[in-house]
Amino acid sequence: MNSTATYEEKGTAWGKFVSFLNKIGFSPLGFFLLIILALLPNFYPFSEEYIVRWLIMGAFLAAQAVAFDFTAGYINIVNFGFAALLGLGAYTSGIFANTTPFLLFAPGLNPWLTIWLGAIMAGLVGFVLGILTLRLRGIFAAVMAWFVGIALMGLVNNLTELTRGPLGMNPVKFIETPNNLPYFYIILAMMVMIYVVLKLVVGSNIGLAFKAIGQNPDAARASGINPTKYLVFNFTLSAFFAGLLGGFYAHFFGSLTPSTLMHTSKTVEVLAIAYIGGRGSLWGGVTIAFPFVFFIEFLRSNLSSLPGLHLVIYGVLMVTIMIYYPAGFSGFYFWTVAKVKTLIKKNK
Amino acid sequence: MILDTKEVTKRFGGLTAVNQVSMQIEEGEIFGLIGPNGAGKTTFLNSIAGKFPPTSGKVFFLGEETTGLPAEVMCKRGLARTFQIPRPFPKMTVLENVKVGAVFGPSAHGLKSAELRAQEALEFVEFNLPIDTPASQLNAVQLKRIDLARAISCQPKLLLLDELASGLTPGELDSMMALIKRIRDDGVTIIAIEHIMRVIKGICDEVMVIEYGTTIAEGTPDEVLNNPKVIEAYLGEEEVPNAGA
Repeated sequence: MNSTATYEEKGTAWGKFVSFLNKIGFSPLGFFLLIILALLPNFYPFSEEYIVRWLIMGAFLAAQAVAFDFTAGYINIVNFGFAALLGLGAYTSGIFANTTPFLLFAPGLNPWLTIWLGAIMAGLVGFVLGILTLRLRGIFAAVMAWFVGIALMGLVNNLTELTRGPLGMNPVKFIETPNNLPYFYIILAMMVMIYVVLKLVVGSNIGLAFKAIGQNPDAARASGINPTKYLVFNFTLSAFFAGLLGGFYAHFFGSLTPSTLMHTSKTVEVLAIAYIGGRGSLWGGVTIAFPFVFFIEFLRSNLSSLPGLHLVIYGVLMVTIMIYYPAGFSGFYFWTVAKVKTLIKKNK
Repeated sequence: MILDTKEVTKRFGGLTAVNQVSMQIEEGEIFGLIGPNGAGKTTFLNSIAGKFPPTSGKVFFLGEETTGLPAEVMCKRGLARTFQIPRPFPKMTVLENVKVGAVFGPSAHGLKSAELRAQEALEFVEFNLPIDTPASQLNAVQLKRIDLARAISCQPKLLLLDELASGLTPGELDSMMALIKRIRDDGVTIIAIEHIMRVIKGICDEVMVIEYGTTIAEGTPDEVLNNPKVIEAYLGEEEVPNAGA
């Protein structure tokens, strides 16, 4: 899904189509793969309900990785509170959509509306988090975000009148259907929307400012970039989409508990996917998320005697990638493309 | 007068790095700032360019007080700088590095696109590698050129150069000196921290010497370099030849 390629046949319909794709952040190959992914659940064995669920999990993780990489890959701050922000969105949406009277209040709004309320709530907290981490660099900012995440999780655990705490709550579903397929298309649409919006942002001058701040704050400031503005904007937008995805989670699974949703280990899952996919590309995590979910689910079902093995695998893969190939999968892809191009040039 | 500092002082805890330095700079000059290592030259530049505010004293830039304004505001007001150890954006290409200055530097954009202005700045500093080279592949001298190009594309009125000429071969030194003069001829006032006497004599209109954070001499390069205090600061006290021995 890279946008660096240039095409000579600009005048033709195909050329126009390709340059449109490039504008919204897709290469023809990336777009082709996306279409295949969208059609996948119509073919056996991918049409099996449990595999559609895997695909949903894949898209959910992929979309998270995109929103996560928007911060980690560009302004170089690891948001360890990411899962907590997502959980905040999920709970906000769940509470506003709630119809059962056991909670403090039961507004019973439409979940299609409340997911946006959840997103706005998470965005607001992201805004505050951005301001809190302003003066901090690298690891200190990450730790601050982590603490805020822990505090959020503590709140959700203890505001039992709203959230039922560790007992968990059961938000209404988007649609009452035994089928998983509609949910696959909902999350796929969310993923594509998040990707396109964030890609447009990082492709603009705002993205240039993000990269400058992430790579060298002093030189960025000396070039006239106000770090405050961009950092807070980045955190807000990333948190907004995290909250939106939380809303999807709430109204898809129909069950929320703080520890399965907001725990730091959930952030680490996303971090692993985003880093293995390659930082600073946005699409790297997407390509990794799907095979990864399949791999992990396969392990889970075949090695059920070893619970938690997938976390070990996350760890080992992360360490290996960080040491031997920090550029991740997207870095490998760009490297290959550059190699192929020079080979073609030589043969001409 | 483009820059006027009044008794600028910067303390770090108990250490006074810059002690009551007052400096007046006229438009269009190349002003040299020299002194032994650790004398406080870079700290002085940092406190006028907004990296940190001075502990006391006042800074007037273009007739307005700018004491303690942050670096990004100073940049928008027309003050750009290069870094002693060039600090580019390593994961960007050469062009993107310079584009950062062109996009965010000037408060008023001309009609030309930022990309075009960045390309012009690169041509101006005679950077002759492909502009899509990643900055991480450049050597120290090339990094200095793109750092300079980045600063120029901020379209400054005052440019602070921190040891731009150090580490260059004699041949490179000549072209760098010519380049600095050309920047001045384009209407940019320059303050340059330098160690190399040839550069100071070759380009500076006026020179100030700082030792232990305090101004010890000011004047034309020839005056200053013959000042006994300055010679002492650089070379140590002159031994008095004993005629009777």
